[in-house]
Amino acid sequence: MDINVKVKPYLKIQAFYLFFIISSIQLGVGIMGLPRLVFLEAYQDAWISILIALLGILLVVFVMLRILTSYDNADILGIQIDLFGKWLGKIMGTVYIVYFAVTLFSVFITYIEVVKIFIFPELSNFVMGLLLVSLIVYCLLGGLKAIVGTCFIFFFLALWVLFLLIHPAVLLDFTHFQPVFQASFPELLSGARVTAYTFLGFEILFLIYPFIQNKKKVKKPVYFGVTFTALIVLITTVISIGFFSTDQLKNREWVVLNLFKIQSLPFIERFDYIVVAEWMMVVLPNMFLLMWAITYSMKRLYRVPQKITLYATAGLLLIACIFTSDHFLIQKIINTSAQYGFWLVFVYPLLLLPMVWIKKRRGKQKGAGRHSS
Amino acid sequence: MRKNQAKSSNNIFPIKVDKLKKQMESRFENNPDLVFTIYEHQKKKIAVFYIGYLVEPEMVHNYLLKPLLTSDKTWANPDILNDIPLSTGKTKEKLQDILQNILIGEVFIYVEGEPAAVSFILSKKEKRNLTQAETESLVQGPKVAFTESIAINMNIVRWNIHSTDLVLEKIMIGERAPREVRLIYLKSIANETDVNTMRQRLKDLEIDQLEDSSVLMQYIEDSSQTIFPQFYSSELPDRFAYTVTRGRIGVLVENSPTAILAPSTFFSFFESTEDLYMRWNAGTFLRYLRFIAIIISVLLTPLYVAATTFHYEIIPTQELITIGESRAIVPFPPIFEALLLEFIIELLREAGARLPTKIGQTIGIVGGIVIGTAAVQAGITSNFLIILVALSALASFTTPNYMMGTAIRIIRFPMIILAGTLGMIGMMFGVCFLIIHLLKLSSLGRPYLSPVYPFRWEDLNKTLYRLPNSRQNKRFASYRPKDLIRYSKRKASKRKDIDE
Repeated sequence: MDINVKVKPYLKIQAFYLFFIISSIQLGVGIMGLPRLVFLEAYQDAWISILIALLGILLVVFVMLRILTSYDNADILGIQIDLFGKWLGKIMGTVYIVYFAVTLFSVFITYIEVVKIFIFPELSNFVMGLLLVSLIVYCLLGGLKAIVGTCFIFFFLALWVLFLLIHPAVLLDFTHFQPVFQASFPELLSGARVTAYTFLGFEILFLIYPFIQNKKKVKKPVYFGVTFTALIVLITTVISIGFFSTDQLKNREWVVLNLFKIQSLPFIERFDYIVVAEWMMVVLPNMFLLMWAITYSMKRLYRVPQKITLYATAGLLLIACIFTSDHFLIQKIINTSAQYGFWLVFVYPLLLLPMVWIKKRRGKQKGAGRHSS
Repeated sequence: MRKNQAKSSNNIFPIKVDKLKKQMESRFENNPDLVFTIYEHQKKKIAVFYIGYLVEPEMVHNYLLKPLLTSDKTWANPDILNDIPLSTGKTKEKLQDILQNILIGEVFIYVEGEPAAVSFILSKKEKRNLTQAETESLVQGPKVAFTESIAINMNIVRWNIHSTDLVLEKIMIGERAPREVRLIYLKSIANETDVNTMRQRLKDLEIDQLEDSSVLMQYIEDSSQTIFPQFYSSELPDRFAYTVTRGRIGVLVENSPTAILAPSTFFSFFESTEDLYMRWNAGTFLRYLRFIAIIISVLLTPLYVAATTFHYEIIPTQELITIGESRAIVPFPPIFEALLLEFIIELLREAGARLPTKIGQTIGIVGGIVIGTAAVQAGITSNFLIILVALSALASFTTPNYMMGTAIRIIRFPMIILAGTLGMIGMMFGVCFLIIHLLKLSSLGRPYLSPVYPFRWEDLNKTLYRLPNSRQNKRFASYRPKDLIRYSKRKASKRKDIDE
């Protein structure tokens, strides 16, 4: 397997799409319940936790970019093989694939559960799963360009939902935030840690990097994308804490969706129905990118044609979702994905960078005799 | 047939006149229309042959036969070309050429013993006069439309674009009954890859006969699975000229009053040339009106169906009472009610389109007033839904392109079914599917949704909105024209300070 990827020029995408790719893979099902989770850890100082999380993410992204720029045109799969050798590299690559699969499944069933809770309590998992899977397969067949396109267009088509937060924002009670700085530092940190599941997704950069046309402009959209996500999360958290009382916040699973209930227009009374349906546009790019990551990694590692992986994974998703309608099972899957993702996405790159440095230095010392470049 | 073709592609001249006559007559067996006259002039046999009703008899008589037979020259081919007062003379040696050209109204002269026959174009073609456009009408701007005659159409195009850059490549399509197709573009602007792709697609076409430009369009489109047209078909010369001068490609087909314009974006189907003729702000307004109209047309009835079937909570209480009252006596579920009404509207439209104009209007009145009112009184539908269905039908007719309008009307049916079975989620599924579908389409290899995706900021002012002309100085960059700049921006907008 080549460490560097040769991408055909017509498959490449412009760097600024990274903003939309990263923010749309990050914003998904996680944000719907996040404010409550952070609140349970850090109370009224939840917003500080989110800022801490943002700083952590910026650091990780910085490290990721350093790792990527030390190679010509490599993705994480190639880099791991370069660092650990063929076998260990492939195992680590498989770890990534499993992680993507678990995350994809968690997003998939969480959205189905939300739809069932908010709109159709008696809807069968199979029907809802079939809708989503058919869209995933249909879009994936269009390749990365179609996926990036959906990220881009759905981003704008889903943006209006933010306006629905204006009404609850007006009703904020600022006393809910007082007294400030009550949470201890460990509490803030554990608050930051529960955001992991929501903020997961920017690791797609590790795979998509070789497809970027103008690599010099990569940094800005990536940092902006991550910051934008954090900003949205921050806004929703602040509004949730300010809007709901402590007890209300503690007892509501999907706090953000509850926020939309209050907004109403002369011709539409309940927006939460529309928002939950609209949320499909937020969740789909998420699933497209994760599915793409699975199929693409399988091709890179094991030379399995992407179509075969796509159909197989789609079939498995569909079968698996029929049997997972138990709420606690779903929570367990989300927790597994969050745990797994925390170590793989947030911690692992920090360990990877020194190894890349060491490898590069050795390579230089070795190559210095033969090669001047 | 094949054998004959092989034989007839050889040079058959010189030949005895009688033998030529026999050959020609054998080819036109059972066709009594071949006029083959043999004259004796200065002791030389001269054959003149043509198809009777394809030529102008007066012209043949006055300009061909008169000089030919009254002069006392001994005619040879160069003399004929020189002395006959017609400018279209050409020599033809192959039987195949002769057969092809005699069918488009050329008159042939053959002097016995010469190495070739001479032909003159004296064709008479029955054609209708130029009329106003019928499917795409404009309130403001040129009204004339293309006709069936490609010569007239080219004439109009030339009058619209006075430029030596304008190329009108001739390509014959169809093996059994060839038809002339013209590939039209501006040499100095049009993207070469696009022109080559189009030319290749036209030349690769192996069909026996071509019916119309809309059929040609289906043959050469990128995807034949989709319901969306990928090329714009227009009957307006001003639209044609506008598109070609912006660096795209036009195709004219003989006997077809609609031209093909390629490549096209999804958004270009919702822009009318009238947007240009209006002031920019009014033009932008009209364009947005049309975009909103599509959304209404595709989503309004499904929304009603979804809300009344599954999500009563969405509708505010006051309205719910009104809707409930109007639906109280309707015995059907909303999905059936909506499908029925949409079906009736489609019926009315189709009946109106097939009937002559005068009766068509009557049908409209009968349908709209009689059926509509009676349906509500009979308790088949609620009058609330009638309003919505009529509104969405009206909205779908704002689309300037008829094919796109039809596509949008058809999309509504699966949408209603989705909304009636899965509510909002079903609708959302439909919308997502549509967007992904549009994303995957291309027109002549160019993305269908450009400039929105792939995103190009500088092109948005040509698709989503318009700006004053001083800001519209560039061509559509997504299609990579050879020359991007239409005019210098500096000259167009000199800014002045206050009180200068």
